[in-house]
Amino acid sequence: MINSIKNSTVDDVKSLEKNKSIALIFLNRKFLLLLLFIIIYAFFAVFAHNFNSFQNIESIMIFSVEIGLLSLGETLVITSGFGGIDLSVGSMLGLSAIVIGELIGRFGLNIWLAIIIGLLVGTGTGLFNGLMIVYAKIPPLLTTLATMYLYSSLALLVSMDQYGNAMPISNFPSIYSIFGQSNILGIPLQFILFFIPITIILYILVQKTIFGKHLLSTGTDEIVSKLSGINVNKIRLWVYTISGLLAAIAALIETSRIASARPDLGSNMNLEAITISVLGGTYIFGGTADIIAVFIASILVTMLDNGLFLIGVNTIWQTGALGFLLIGALILDLIIRKRSL
Amino acid sequence: MQLFKRRESIILFFIVALIIIFSIVTSGRFASYSNIIQILVNAVPIIISSIGMTMIIITAGIDVSAGSIVGLVGMTVSVLSLQGIWSPYDWIIGLLLGGLLGFFNALLIWNLKIAPIIATLATMGIYRSLVFTVSGGRWAIGMPTLLLWIGSGTIFNIPFSIFLMVAFVIYFIYFMSKRVTGRNIYAIGNNIEAARTSGVSIGKTIFFIYTLAGVLYAVSAFAILGRTGLAQSTMGTGFELEVIAAVVIGGTNILGGEGTIVGSLIGALLVAVIEDGIVLSNIPPLLTDFVLGALILIAISTDVIIKRREIA
Repeated sequence: MINSIKNSTVDDVKSLEKNKSIALIFLNRKFLLLLLFIIIYAFFAVFAHNFNSFQNIESIMIFSVEIGLLSLGETLVITSGFGGIDLSVGSMLGLSAIVIGELIGRFGLNIWLAIIIGLLVGTGTGLFNGLMIVYAKIPPLLTTLATMYLYSSLALLVSMDQYGNAMPISNFPSIYSIFGQSNILGIPLQFILFFIPITIILYILVQKTIFGKHLLSTGTDEIVSKLSGINVNKIRLWVYTISGLLAAIAALIETSRIASARPDLGSNMNLEAITISVLGGTYIFGGTADIIAVFIASILVTMLDNGLFLIGVNTIWQTGALGFLLIGALILDLIIRKRSL
Repeated sequence: MQLFKRRESIILFFIVALIIIFSIVTSGRFASYSNIIQILVNAVPIIISSIGMTMIIITAGIDVSAGSIVGLVGMTVSVLSLQGIWSPYDWIIGLLLGGLLGFFNALLIWNLKIAPIIATLATMGIYRSLVFTVSGGRWAIGMPTLLLWIGSGTIFNIPFSIFLMVAFVIYFIYFMSKRVTGRNIYAIGNNIEAARTSGVSIGKTIFFIYTLAGVLYAVSAFAILGRTGLAQSTMGTGFELEVIAAVVIGGTNILGGEGTIVGSLIGALLVAVIEDGIVLSNIPPLLTDFVLGALILIAISTDVIIKRREIA
């Protein structure tokens, strides 16, 4: 039964039977995104100076990692259903970042210990979201709205100096820069050692494990899942916690890349993470996730930002472009669904 | 209904307790006439916008583009007024622009069937980019006093914006309880299928509330503009969160079907009292967001607990 729920809604199955060949190609989110990827790439390669250089491609990889990790967490959360959404990913990133920064920069703690504590803080914030949602039964939108305030405010408090001003930390030892500023065979380390492995792990988790099947089933129909003996609460608790952990890993990479920790890091990444997740085919009411497509989408969006910047579009249009992209993706969805029905 | 009465009285009690505590801490300065007026003036934009947001949330929707609409309207009317447009025309342009932006939200939500949170997230980004485009990244300052009058003018020594807010609140309390459209909003939120079969025009209602909300955000923008006297590209950032917080603290159910204008009014007052009290009692302002976040969690979880007990 779970298998039939797995990847496609009933509508999709119907449409596949009706118009198999077209539907197969177009309902495949990865194919669509790759097509879009090639078109956008070709456009910028022609019109943007220096876009098609090795250095630029490298920087696209670097910038895609942090937002990509947040989007992956967001994807799991949205997939779990019950109005699942995480507005606090950016704040969790900010709080973890400033905790790591303070521990190393102000208290001179051992780097590795500080990193572990930072990751624990991120995981803890995610777990707290999960607990409020699962046990206090507060809808995710409200829980994460409230914790977005809480965590970003905590981040400011942690960074406060004796005069009550929020201070950034930037005296990291040089070895700390290894996570965000080094590369392996010319490819950024964080891309190879963090982004790709995490994507693969999550892909396996969602597509190949019992946990993943339970997650998709929970998001599709909570009541049926409960009746089939799935511990829905446990699944939800896990996805919010994972989202927190991923935000903390993103915090580690970002503080290392810019060699500085500020409490407001990640403050405008919530919208972007949700956009990328939806662009990657995550169904906003839960039950459908395509981890690989989200991976592609995060690179796509980073590339779009980068390309627009290079052809001289003002950077303030980045959020606007993101909004148009999101609406465009959803309109495309609508057309495809209508066609294939 | 009994539940809401109880909830509203709990929050009112909370507000009174806070006023007493803050007054003691600030040795009476908090409860002074001028400060109470100040709190009300600060609360006006949130209260006026919360009317629209309450209607939207009752239909199980949400609008996170509110802050961006406030920013875009505020910036556009400021820039126009600096180019010599007569302020009353500017007011009309601002209200129309707000309505148009809200209408566009409804278009995405109703015609393209995009979930409200996603649609308004997208327009939040788009509208914010437009603010920067209109302003060119610069501040707008030196607007004619007539334009600012909605937010800064006074009648009998009482700020005009307070009268405006009271008028809006009274009309929409009547609207939500007696007018057909008002009742339809509750019907849609309670059971959309039942509403459809009993002949409620859902599309029309959705368009109505999002457009109206846009107009109300525009009014809030005028109030904020008058208070601050300048427009920045970041105007209204985070405003949507304050409004949503006020609405849900006031007892509107985020899953739709329940909620009152009075509740949102009280929720907004609580937010305003806390923000003002924190500043006056020398608590680091960094804590404001913390308190706001904690308040949302406490308000909602008590709500859940009360409901569970009633079911049991």
